[in-house]
Amino acid sequence: MNIQILDSWLRVYLKTNAKPTKIADCMSLCGPSCERLEKKGNDWLYDFEVTTNRVDMMSVYGLAREAAAILPQFGTKATLVPLELKKPRPPKKSLPLKLKIDRKLSNRLMGVVITDIENWKSPDWMKKRLNASGIRSLNSVVDITNYIMVEIGHPSHVFDYDLIKNQKIIVRESRKGEKIISLDNKEYTLPGGDIVFDDGTGEIIDLPGIMGTKNSVVNKNTKRVLFFFDNNDPTRIRRSSMSLGIRTVAATLNEKGVDPELAEAAMLRGIQLFEEVCKAKISSKIYDQYPDRYKVKTIKTSKAFIDSRLGISIYKKDISKILESLEFETKWRGNQLEVKVPSFRALDVNLPEDIIEEVARINGYYNLPSELMEGQVPSAVDNSNFKIANKIKATLKALKAVEVYTSSLVSKEMIDGNAIKLQNPLGSDTEYMRDNLRTSLLNVLNSNKGVNDPYHVYEIANIYLPQKNNLPLEEEYLAGLFVNYNYRDAKGIIETLLDQLNISTSFKQSDLNHFIEDYALEVRSKENYLGKFGVVKNDLIYYEFSLENLIKNHRDYKKYKPIPKFPAQIEDITLKLPKNTKAGEVLKDLLHSDILIRKVELTDMHKSNYTFRLWYQSKKKTLNDKDVEKIRTKLLKFAEKEFGAIQVV
Amino acid sequence: MDARSLGELEEIRIAYLGRNGRITKLVKNITSVESSERKSIGLLLNDTKSTMLSLLKEKENKLREGENTQFDPTLPGIKKELGHTHLVTQAINEISEIFENIGFRRLRYPEVEWDWYAFGSVNFGPDHPARDEWETFIVDNKPDKEMGQMVLTPHTTSGQVREMKRLGPVFSEPIRMINISKCYRRQSDASHVPMFHQFEGLVVDRGINITHLKGTLDYFAKQFFGPDRKTRIRPYNFPFTEPSFEVDINCGICEGKGCKVCKGGWHEIGGSGMVHPQVLKNGGIDPNHYTGFAFGWGVERVFLMKEGLGINDLRTMYSTDLRYLKQF
Repeated sequence: MNIQILDSWLRVYLKTNAKPTKIADCMSLCGPSCERLEKKGNDWLYDFEVTTNRVDMMSVYGLAREAAAILPQFGTKATLVPLELKKPRPPKKSLPLKLKIDRKLSNRLMGVVITDIENWKSPDWMKKRLNASGIRSLNSVVDITNYIMVEIGHPSHVFDYDLIKNQKIIVRESRKGEKIISLDNKEYTLPGGDIVFDDGTGEIIDLPGIMGTKNSVVNKNTKRVLFFFDNNDPTRIRRSSMSLGIRTVAATLNEKGVDPELAEAAMLRGIQLFEEVCKAKISSKIYDQYPDRYKVKTIKTSKAFIDSRLGISIYKKDISKILESLEFETKWRGNQLEVKVPSFRALDVNLPEDIIEEVARINGYYNLPSELMEGQVPSAVDNSNFKIANKIKATLKALKAVEVYTSSLVSKEMIDGNAIKLQNPLGSDTEYMRDNLRTSLLNVLNSNKGVNDPYHVYEIANIYLPQKNNLPLEEEYLAGLFVNYNYRDAKGIIETLLDQLNISTSFKQSDLNHFIEDYALEVRSKENYLGKFGVVKNDLIYYEFSLENLIKNHRDYKKYKPIPKFPAQIEDITLKLPKNTKAGEVLKDLLHSDILIRKVELTDMHKSNYTFRLWYQSKKKTLNDKDVEKIRTKLLKFAEKEFGAIQVV
Repeated sequence: MDARSLGELEEIRIAYLGRNGRITKLVKNITSVESSERKSIGLLLNDTKSTMLSLLKEKENKLREGENTQFDPTLPGIKKELGHTHLVTQAINEISEIFENIGFRRLRYPEVEWDWYAFGSVNFGPDHPARDEWETFIVDNKPDKEMGQMVLTPHTTSGQVREMKRLGPVFSEPIRMINISKCYRRQSDASHVPMFHQFEGLVVDRGINITHLKGTLDYFAKQFFGPDRKTRIRPYNFPFTEPSFEVDINCGICEGKGCKVCKGGWHEIGGSGMVHPQVLKNGGIDPNHYTGFAFGWGVERVFLMKEGLGINDLRTMYSTDLRYLKQF
């Protein structure tokens, strides 16, 4: 989360001559990153990104403590100005307050009654600092709670003391369906298990740690204020805040586990401000329920462990110095180290690895050398899918195809069958995980409406097929679309591609879904299914192959064929084919009509006349005219018998 | 019309169309033809004459050109059209090659993943506040009792424990994995798209420490961006690493001055860190004997940081407009 604070505010607690730019740079390298430093009149505004584990640093004081540890590493003097807080003298007669904590739900409750508020207007310096931190000023009473939250880091709340019946606050779990009206006048129905304050009558008077309720909050008629701190189970706070959708600054802090020890400092600082700013009186003692005080946590580690993880040797005295600057206590026994963790780091520092982080970052990651690791290299893994995908992409590039990446998230209209559906899509056009690439490729047309030249786009990507009680099957496909293409050119490109993969291919006319009837081919390699090719719409030719099929049927390299010793005789023969004859089949069968026919190509078509170019070749000798005549006669006879084809002379 | 010089051409002209040329003679003798055929023969002769004249002129032009023009090497070439592989493919290939050269193995793990692998096994508790930042798409399915909810994996980190488990119950050889895969997050702006690619590096072996992580990242940055771009490493927090780092590189668009795409002149390339001991345990590896580091970065993000590429909106990268696609 980000926190914006003015330089002048930071310097209340940080004594240093360092310029703001220096502070920003050093902090970014060793602590919280300063994402922006902006000049504001004669002041500067920092925007720090503080990671979720460092709730102790989400405050002016916490940042000052961090800066005081970091800056000296860069040779700049800096010290933390400690909070000077005195407990107020308790009034002769204390206004009553009964607190009943539930240790399962709350760590600490603290309250004090404030009366005789003379000034409800915040001074300019306070407004300026709050505004710079992105908090709107309301009145001095509310502003003080926000001010100490930013400054010290513990959220607090102000109740109208006179709205709390029997002056009683009981912590309990909410029941499912209980309703509250928040201080901003919205009704919420509680999911149950939320931490709530009850005034003893069963009525909820606060959603602590998240947001106040309307029935108890300070308002314009308020005379007496209950200034209150509650420190609750962060997991429950987060669950309630998320499920109700109330994401206040207080909630985002409290869900990360604010240090309950901090409540006291924040309370005293608040009282100081109530007296100073509001000219108010303290009319009760400080009520405090804190059954489980922080027990100091000790972590054991060693110099050897620290050195091994840092990759360098670091002096024991330097380790101590760094840790102590962050308020850890250290004790060495030989090379064994015992570290006592301060309360405000209790949730974040648990392992020897956490100690390493503190030492390494303050010492400076930039001070560590860079080395590549040595050691055994892992054994090979099967990478045929990456290899074949790259081979396809290289081949298609040479064949003028354009690769696209379209979204795997698609609309309901784009799926073919039972597809994976999202609970929380960004919109209805991205509600499903696609089960085909065809509709995605057809969408590419929309981005290229004015294009009349032929183009060929393709993609290699997963489709997602649901499976019972398991993750979906993720199947990788190659699919492409030819737009404005000549049919034979398109088919030739696919044939060339399959040749490059060394797959012997055959096409079989079939009825396939999503293609125009009679315009589709099944592509096979021997008996194995490879994919589909055909016309899906006027001027649109589509194909798809599962990568797994291509991998199974392909060869990495070609097989050498000895160069023929005797030349081929080549001639063109034009055949007139009866109506509806499939030229592809004629060609295939002509090739097999005699063993000496090595190759057949279709070179020309005119109405029903088809010109085939034939290569006659023998391994044993050069064929003479007589030999050729014999083969030709056989071939023509065959063509006539099989297809009713007649030679055109 | 096989004349090889203007002189030869002139001879042909005279032979046919000259005063005593063959055609001229035929025209002169047209009166000797019977009147019934005179018209059609006349037309034929005229046609022949005009065809010959135009052919002669054409040949003459050709011959003159040849005489006056020398070979011109400055004429523009005629370029041949190639197809185009997508920028993301180019980036992925470049990245995998860089890591494969130092012994990494390229692998890929599911895009639709169990919460356990995406979050639980890499140390996010069920209510971990950091989950917010992963803005995860959830599949509309009943959760599995052990594995939890089905999600679209928001990061390639989901592959870490899968990779540890791939090597079997006994950890027998070191891991150097580079896992490049599609990831998904609920976000869309100039620097985020809901579907993107990450590459995850994972190294686990005896004696791996922070200097190895720095060394590997430096090696990558030098190979990928060139020696002039600056990088920095700063502290960060991720549940799956301890310590954790954020790796930054100075902005190639504004050259470090700060612009709408970067943060104060720096780009976050992505996270990295030393593998958290709990993650090693979840993968069946004893953290007392083995340590590791990991990093997970956006493929598109690092590619856009290349100096002078000039794309400053990540969404542009996924355009299917041919005018964009054909540029690369």
